[in-house]
Amino acid sequence: MRKILGITALLIVVCVITSLASSSFLSAYNLENLIRRTALFGIISIGVAFVIVTGGIDLSIGSVVCLVGCGLPWLLTTHHWSVPTALAAVILVSVGIGLGHGLLITRLRLPPFVVTLCGLLLYRGIARGFTQDQTVGFGSEFKALRSLATGQIPLPFLSGFALPAPWIFLIAVAVLAAIFLNRTIYGRYLLALGRNEDAARYSGINTRRMIVLAYVISSTLAGLGGILFVLDVNSAQPVDFGNFYELYAIAAAVLGGCSLRGGEGTIVGVIVGAALMQVLRNMITLVTTHNNIEFAIIGAVILLGVIADELVKRYAARRRAARALAAEGAG
Amino acid sequence: MTAPLLRATRLTKSFPGVRALRGVGLTLNRGEVVAVIGENGAGKSTLMKILAGVQTPDSGEVQLEGHPVVLDSVLVALRHGIALIHQELNLADNLDVAANIFLGREPLRNGLIDRDRIEREAAVHLKAVGLDVSPRTPVHELSIGQQQLVEIAKALSVQARVLIMDEPTSSLSSGEAAKLFTVIHDLRSRGVSMLYISHRLGEVNALADRVVVLRDGENAGDLERADITHGAMVKLMVGRDLSQFYAHEPHPPGRPVLEVRGLRSRVHPKHAVDFTLRAGEIVGMAGLVGAGRTELLEALFGVTPAVGGSIRVDGQEIQPQSPQEAIAAGLALVPEDRKHQGVILEMAIRDNLSLASLRQDQRRGFLNRVRELALSGEMMSRLRIKAPHDQQVVQFLSGGNQQKVVLGKWLALRPKVLLLDEPTRGIDIGAKQEIYRLMEELSRTGVAILFVSSELEEILGLSDRTLVMHEGRLTGELRRDQLSEEAVMHLATNSSPSPSPLSTPALPA
Amino acid sequence: MISVECASGFCQSPGIIPVKLTFQPIAIPLVLTLALSTLLTGCKPASDSAGGSGSGGGKKKIAFVSNGVASFWTIAGAGVKAAGEKFGVDAETLMPVEGISDQKRIIEDLVTRGIDGIAVSPIDPANQTDLLNRAAKRTHLITHDSDAPASDRELYIGMDNYSAGRLCGDLVREAMPKGGTVMLFIGRLEQDNAKRRRQGVIDAILGRPANPANYDAPGTILEGNGFKILGTLTDQFDRAKGKANAEDALAKYPDLGCMVGLFAYNPPLMLEALGQANKLGKVQVVAFDEDDATLEGIQKGHVHGTVVQNPYMYGFKSVEILSELAKGNASVIPASKFIDIPARQIRKATVDEFWTDLKAKTGAKK
Repeated sequence: MRKILGITALLIVVCVITSLASSSFLSAYNLENLIRRTALFGIISIGVAFVIVTGGIDLSIGSVVCLVGCGLPWLLTTHHWSVPTALAAVILVSVGIGLGHGLLITRLRLPPFVVTLCGLLLYRGIARGFTQDQTVGFGSEFKALRSLATGQIPLPFLSGFALPAPWIFLIAVAVLAAIFLNRTIYGRYLLALGRNEDAARYSGINTRRMIVLAYVISSTLAGLGGILFVLDVNSAQPVDFGNFYELYAIAAAVLGGCSLRGGEGTIVGVIVGAALMQVLRNMITLVTTHNNIEFAIIGAVILLGVIADELVKRYAARRRAARALAAEGAG
Repeated sequence: MTAPLLRATRLTKSFPGVRALRGVGLTLNRGEVVAVIGENGAGKSTLMKILAGVQTPDSGEVQLEGHPVVLDSVLVALRHGIALIHQELNLADNLDVAANIFLGREPLRNGLIDRDRIEREAAVHLKAVGLDVSPRTPVHELSIGQQQLVEIAKALSVQARVLIMDEPTSSLSSGEAAKLFTVIHDLRSRGVSMLYISHRLGEVNALADRVVVLRDGENAGDLERADITHGAMVKLMVGRDLSQFYAHEPHPPGRPVLEVRGLRSRVHPKHAVDFTLRAGEIVGMAGLVGAGRTELLEALFGVTPAVGGSIRVDGQEIQPQSPQEAIAAGLALVPEDRKHQGVILEMAIRDNLSLASLRQDQRRGFLNRVRELALSGEMMSRLRIKAPHDQQVVQFLSGGNQQKVVLGKWLALRPKVLLLDEPTRGIDIGAKQEIYRLMEELSRTGVAILFVSSELEEILGLSDRTLVMHEGRLTGELRRDQLSEEAVMHLATNSSPSPSPLSTPALPA
Repeated sequence: MISVECASGFCQSPGIIPVKLTFQPIAIPLVLTLALSTLLTGCKPASDSAGGSGSGGGKKKIAFVSNGVASFWTIAGAGVKAAGEKFGVDAETLMPVEGISDQKRIIEDLVTRGIDGIAVSPIDPANQTDLLNRAAKRTHLITHDSDAPASDRELYIGMDNYSAGRLCGDLVREAMPKGGTVMLFIGRLEQDNAKRRRQGVIDAILGRPANPANYDAPGTILEGNGFKILGTLTDQFDRAKGKANAEDALAKYPDLGCMVGLFAYNPPLMLEALGQANKLGKVQVVAFDEDDATLEGIQKGHVHGTVVQNPYMYGFKSVEILSELAKGNASVIPASKFIDIPARQIRKATVDEFWTDLKAKTGAKK
């Protein structure tokens, strides 16, 4: 909770500063844009959070976004598959990718970094192969399908503001993820094995199966993200579609309180982290005329956030340790 | 009479919320071995850290040969000839022995490290500690005991006059420990003084010229050589008489619960092990470190599946390929490495206690929070886990309380067979006693208990029956009426009951 | 133009050598080994064929190197192929996928292989002079699409990006006779052609006399001639970012008059953003290049016009010139060392004709 408070405060501060500096920040149009982007990045960030909770890492997310983002229009426009078949195919591929990662990591004991790094190269390469490196897109077709990402849901009491459709996906994913992580025994297993895989195994937890599950969740959500991204942007270029998105996702998860050492993470925090990244990028465009310093600002803000968090954590740990000692009555 | 080599008076030290030392004093003469004992949290470690310059006292004074000194850093303490040998060894295991001995103060020649000189001098110090290895041996090739001796050689290389050893035998085999004791005797005869911290009262009894007992950050009393007995030490440590330390009552053995036939572990695939465990029985398993006891337990528990043989629980054949399967059959294991295999340090007591039983208490995959809460309340009181509340993170509990959490986790499942691997290692005497009490209590309810221990007194005090292992084989079984140190050591070393150097110092007199 | 849609310096997949662009991961060890051996052995093999005469004795070998991967280069590739057949040379098109380092590797490998002529679109001409000069010593080297005037290239085939930019700026003035606010969108500004194109647009809008040496920093707001140029947003080839830029500009300036997309993929992203904001037709759009969505936008009246170059001719002309040079015929080099392939403006009136012709040229592809 405390971790979420910190990042939420940071998000609010950035929002307040931006709205003071730019009157358009709080316009309905801009808020809709921000919500849509946060939703898209939030979905893939929640996915990677599951892997991070186990103490692993998934570097292949951007490439899965690319594979799915190129694969969907390619199947629909070049091969004229039906919409349900094409959607099922790309989701199935995403699930399969996670399954492959998980099995390589748990059965062959390969390091997650290596497995997913190879995935990063592999899936983008495959996407570039089957598209022959050509941009694929929907043109002016598939309006109905695209409304999954571009659609707007009017709100009853708010005129002039409509909720972007991807937000619905994010909320659904987030609610399911939060219930899974906090209310089911499997979520508890994930948190436990992320802290100490051996102790979890000695307690009778099938740690391998849980780790495989985490990678499946990660790549499946990356696949869902890929679908929504390409539906939103309308075209995908295999060379760079989704480039770096794994890093945005990991950054959002870490900002949101996931420890790269494993065992810690909250879904709400991850969404706030994703939102912070998007608001920062938006702020730079709205407030300054130098969007080339964007990465520098994002990097600096994240670093400051992490430093502040670490300091608070140390302080809290010292106090907790002292209280515990006192409580044990030790001398 | 000249001033003692080292004298500390009225040391106090507080940490946030805790007064670790409340006016502790200590003297150490030249060529003397003084053991410092006390329960966990009594202030031993704090005292040692102050003397070694790791921490500074809030008040009080330290004198060396009658002159007050301020030991405000490890470097200053070293300059005064005081060296601390940590419980966790501090060697760089990728470097060789000589490089470790001179780490950080390498003699140079022409701006480069003078390898010849390092090796020459290292050899001298290695000889002094009786370690017969080449200075060029990489440290990772040494056993823990040998590494301990390297640490001591390192201390000698800075002309240490006072060696402070914190639980030096905690991870040594009996043979290695015996070797260490020889070195300690030898160093003492050469005028080196030593402060020796240990939980193993047998060692203390065999080694110490004097015993300083701490309790709750204060001096509880000193024992001169002639007064050092197990009972006297325990009495000072816990502040009461422990006539019934091992409250053993024989248990009438019930039906066979665990039948092991021809079991071969992956580490010792050539040796088949047979034994039977009956309901309500407490069986000890003795042997030297490396005898294959842990491997046997891990094979039973499916951690490292056995390569052959049969295991029956209540007559049902099982072949556990994972702890999950063993647990389903009614087994539970309190593993040797508590911090890495037993508890999840960063998680709360409640979450640790419920971890193994989440599956059976689940409601269609969802957590049963009501049950979790009830369970942790029950275990906290039944096991007397000392913590302000069950959301306390396990990391901040003492070793004994952590071990109780591990036990509580298994009790929730009501196992038929409880396997314990070194259940009292590194925990204080009060907690030990509570764990013994629990084992007794469980056996009375019909649980079959098999416990591995390297502390012979524990084996002697608790078990109805004792199995002894040597190099992967079960070399014997001793009924309670056959049980004696000599008999166990004979089987454990697979030799005649000879003047083995192992048995003498490691055991209580 | 050159704008290339990707020449992103950050694409992850390792590029390939002149092999087909599929399944690179398998090629990684191969590429590494090759690159390494090239480094280790220096340019030894190349020295055998120094002077440009292929040792194969058969057909001359000519390479056309792009600055990235884009449909633009696919069209150029069609020209390369056609010219190769017409002039009886082995002509291949190579597209670096990882930006400048990949392009360097490709050129070095080609030289090592003893190629008879290279036409290249340098990604960063100012900093690639050494590389180009080294290649020019061992084979015939010309530039296309983007020039490297400081190097020893034999000539430059292309369009003057500054003039093309001015054509684009003229379209803006045409679309907004009364002036107004303008926002520019471009992939990135590191490339010389991108800088010059942008500058041409700015100078034409502000009514300045033609001077390719002008330079306005991207962060400054420029005013004149009734127009206000609010800034230039770059996206480093990230499509989602490109779209976000368009959206953010619309949020920041609700009364924005005109959006100008200077790399081929920018106008479609701007149209997406406008569509979602229900502002199609309310904000003027002026484009560069001939993306399908752009051309469709012109047909529908959502885009005022676009400036197109002639990539087919870049490819065709490059191969024609290099095959002559490889035969030892230096008379094809004009005194100016520049062969102009002019850009054109496409408006609603001409878009159908242009598109039909374009489909014919790339017909085999889609």
